[in-house]
Amino acid sequence: MTNTLHRRGTPQTLRQDFVLFATPSRSLSPDLPDKMKRFTEICLRHNPLNMAKIENMAMRRVDPRRLKEEMQDQIGITAVFDNPDSLASAIAELKEADLGIPINVSGLLEQVKECCGKAGITRHSVEQSLGIFGKKEKLPPPEIVEINTLCGHGMVSFNLIKKVADEVKLGRMTPEQGAYLLAKPCECGAFNPVRARQVLEALRMKG
Amino acid sequence: MEIDAAKCVGCGNCVPFCTMGAIRVENDVAVVNEDECVECSTCYRCCGPEGLRATFVRGLRRLFRALHLRYDAPLDVCPTGALVPPELKWPRSLRRAFSDPTVTHDSTGMAGRGTEEIKTNDITGRIGPGEAGIVIDLGRPGTGVFFRDIDTMTRALAQLDVFFEPQNPLTHLMNDPQNGSLRKDIANEKVLSAIIELKIKLADLPEVLHLVEKTATALDTVISVGVSTKCDPEGGIPHESICSGAGYPLSLNGKTNLGLGRPVEGMS
Ligand code: SF4
Ligand code: SF4
Repeated sequence: MTNTLHRRGTPQTLRQDFVLFATPSRSLSPDLPDKMKRFTEICLRHNPLNMAKIENMAMRRVDPRRLKEEMQDQIGITAVFDNPDSLASAIAELKEADLGIPINVSGLLEQVKECCGKAGITRHSVEQSLGIFGKKEKLPPPEIVEINTLCGHGMVSFNLIKKVADEVKLGRMTPEQGAYLLAKPCECGAFNPVRARQVLEALRMKG
Repeated sequence: MEIDAAKCVGCGNCVPFCTMGAIRVENDVAVVNEDECVECSTCYRCCGPEGLRATFVRGLRRLFRALHLRYDAPLDVCPTGALVPPELKWPRSLRRAFSDPTVTHDSTGMAGRGTEEIKTNDITGRIGPGEAGIVIDLGRPGTGVFFRDIDTMTRALAQLDVFFEPQNPLTHLMNDPQNGSLRKDIANEKVLSAIIELKIKLADLPEVLHLVEKTATALDTVISVGVSTKCDPEGGIPHESICSGAGYPLSLNGKTNLGLGRPVEGMS
């Protein structure tokens, strides 16, 4: 989950990519499960693109195409949004709910700050990426890295992204089908299938 | 990961799913490069078994080949269920602990490779005014890292005035957090990525970043670096001017702790 920090992309693409998540592990509250259920309900009300649930203390993916059904009666931990309006309303509702659980958002800092302002929140702490150091020659082209960083644990392999991009170019798969296949290895539910679809479309145009 | 050679039909579906490019098909059977495999189980989780018998699939494949027919099977199945996650013994078990997000880290009680860094700063106050948190994620993106390379970085960092986060799983693997050296018996184990977490004085940020950048050039992998601070009362970011002043541009995106957590008694 940490590395939703290192999501890469242009300001334009990052404008459609926010990950809202709760960190319940250290909130020593006896009614934590109920509070996490409230968190989940609030996220679901604002049309997230993807979510992960908690199972045996670990994050588990759900199928983003059947989010509402699969998240029913589950405890959610991450929710991906593709527009700042949904994010702003979710943040405002979370503030109103006053759950006492740490809540973080990964995304364009200025936009998140604006959403906080609308809800009357002054942000507490901020973490930023300084980019990639070391043997960068080991990395594939930037579009492939961009999709890889959409998973908080880096579970979407470079080779799978290349393979899916080729399948899309050959017309054996639509960009949307490709994006959902790429979402499959991501267990933390941070993968943004809309952004992945856009990158696949751009790669198809490039030929 | 183990592959049951009697069951594997060499379809190659699992190959692209491998996070480390450690699977290849040789003589119609998939083979795993054990040195490179980080035991993340992505191949196993993503290529679910179709429940077919190997003899049946092999026969069908021969028939299709003879008739010059192509069958576009789904990419995310293992037709015969040939992938088998093995029981792992120490120190190989570390690979799974650091690389598979669906298993719990013994040291943190949570899945994942780090601790909670700024995510819970509103309730723990771990990074306070005048301090900075640094996360050094070795092996990310998509490259993986051996503990011998992590050891090079932790030993270099220990020469400076840094504080290794005690709850971080890597700190648990140090012989001595004072000199940063990791246990010798894990040097040749590879993981998908591992995060060194530090707390430093904000003023020391340029010196630490410079050392991280320099040390990274000697490693056979990539690293992703992050920096965090507690905001000032107006929501300003104290590390911003220090990083840009030192020649380290910051990403426009990042992680914001909204401050909605309520400090728990005895934790702050
Ligand atoms: S367990 Fe992970 S690294 Fe090993 S073969 Fe499977 S996908 Fe590759
Ligand atoms: S998916 Fe299964 S049958 Fe196909 S190559 Fe991999 S292990 Fe063998």
